[in-house]
Amino acid sequence: MTDDTDPTTAPLTRDDLTADSPFTLPGFFAALDSGDLLAAVCEDCGKRLIPPRPACYACGGRHLHVDPQPKTGTVVSYTEVRTPPSALADRAPYTVAIVELDSGARLTGRVTVPYAEVDIGMAVQLIARPPDDDEREMALSYEEEWPIHEFEAV
Amino acid sequence: MDPRVAAVGTSAFGRTDLTGRDLFSAAVAEAFADGPDPAEVVDAVYVGNQSESYEHQIMYGTLLAEWCGLRHVPAERVEGCAAAGALALRHAVEDVRSGRRDAVLACGVEKMTAGGTAGATNALSAAFDRALEQRTGVTAPSQYALLAQRYLHDTEATERDLARIAVKNHANGAANPRAQFQRETDVETVLDSDYVAPPLKLFDCAPVTDGAAAVLVANADVAARFDDDRPTVRVAGVGAGANNIGVADRNLTFVEGAHEATTHAYDEAGVAPADIDVAEVHDAFTVCEALLSEAAGLAPRGRGYESALPPAERSDGWTDTHLSTSGGLKARGHPIGATGLAQAVEVYEQLTGTATPTRQVDDATAGLLINEGGVADAVTVAHVLTT
Repeated sequence: MTDDTDPTTAPLTRDDLTADSPFTLPGFFAALDSGDLLAAVCEDCGKRLIPPRPACYACGGRHLHVDPQPKTGTVVSYTEVRTPPSALADRAPYTVAIVELDSGARLTGRVTVPYAEVDIGMAVQLIARPPDDDEREMALSYEEEWPIHEFEAV
Repeated sequence: MDPRVAAVGTSAFGRTDLTGRDLFSAAVAEAFADGPDPAEVVDAVYVGNQSESYEHQIMYGTLLAEWCGLRHVPAERVEGCAAAGALALRHAVEDVRSGRRDAVLACGVEKMTAGGTAGATNALSAAFDRALEQRTGVTAPSQYALLAQRYLHDTEATERDLARIAVKNHANGAANPRAQFQRETDVETVLDSDYVAPPLKLFDCAPVTDGAAAVLVANADVAARFDDDRPTVRVAGVGAGANNIGVADRNLTFVEGAHEATTHAYDEAGVAPADIDVAEVHDAFTVCEALLSEAAGLAPRGRGYESALPPAERSDGWTDTHLSTSGGLKARGHPIGATGLAQAVEVYEQLTGTATPTRQVDDATAGLLINEGGVADAVTVAHVLTT
């Protein structure tokens, strides 16, 4: 299935690994900014990895392809951050959750719903937005334009 | 070669004006009080240290080697967040086991109070995946709360059960002169403490601690130069493994890396979980003791929260292991890079019969250390110590 000339499939060559590649963080966040949440799907074991990377740690496989993931999923676990990192002090308390997308891929993100109104199994959907001032303050120079992902109630 | 624990020492644990190197000096002073000087025996130094942000100091290998009188020996810092101490110990054990070195100093140090709670919160957040977790604003308590929430959902455990783990470890700490908190607490106090990241409350969390610990790992010849009236303590088994960095991708209620690491350590030592008399499990948060007891095969799945009960009252499938007799991270204290070595100090004292009488486990001959970094399963290190 892999094609050495296709930048959305691994194995990758050294020259494939540019900031445009979806297998790198700049490429992943550029795609998220354009509306696509990308995972690397392992062609050997089926695992979906967010963000994409050139190898599957579950099985060791290096044949993967990048695939946009569904934005909807359910809460697997959740909590509320009451003692935040300094940069986000004015935002606390905020809810964070582990969400399993409808594809089975999982990721952590903030939830725009008060803690008391969230439960395991709750349906949510992912959004991506530009960083606010406090989030920009937390960012390193190359991260400043990377979008922030969040989940909201469906 | 058969690696032995030749000598151990710690600083006091808690808030202090002493710096990291000073805390190390205290640990070394204790460890080498009755033996040769470090310069006579130490062939290499490994330093477990979480973060340079507390003291703006890297080069900790060089610094601590110099501070204990060593020159021109290999010395380096080992990093793996809260597993750094056990990683340092593991390197020392492997060096001696291979015959490559006769005696290696494994030490750990952390000066966590330097930046207050905010400083520790920020420094510890560096252990989490920068791409998605850090941008979400997760913290150490909230990461473990994600595990705890799911554990309480999937098992019969309650917040009260987790509180009992804190109470048990405070009671153990009250009997440990090394402990940061040498006082007992009760379930209502734990339950009434403020949520830090629900369902975890302040008293579910290990404290911010300054401290250092030092463990000299040596072959039989060097070990004989130290106090040989005590039973010989061998490092009989080691296991270590990195699983992955993102918590979301894990089995939230079974710490696979700890299972792998302990299984490997048991196999090397030729022991089974039922042989383990004492275990220092990494209770950075109360739920960790439950999760790690299960992963290590000390408790049946879903019943690790019974760790606070006397062995006879636990469910079938539990071993009779005494857990976190030091008071654990919760009460002994959690100076991040030193914790894995503080665990070794406790099990050394238990196996040599030198623990204070009220916490000494009778006839302890095998002990387990589980030290982990980066939310239970990013990297886990297990050691089995035997007499």
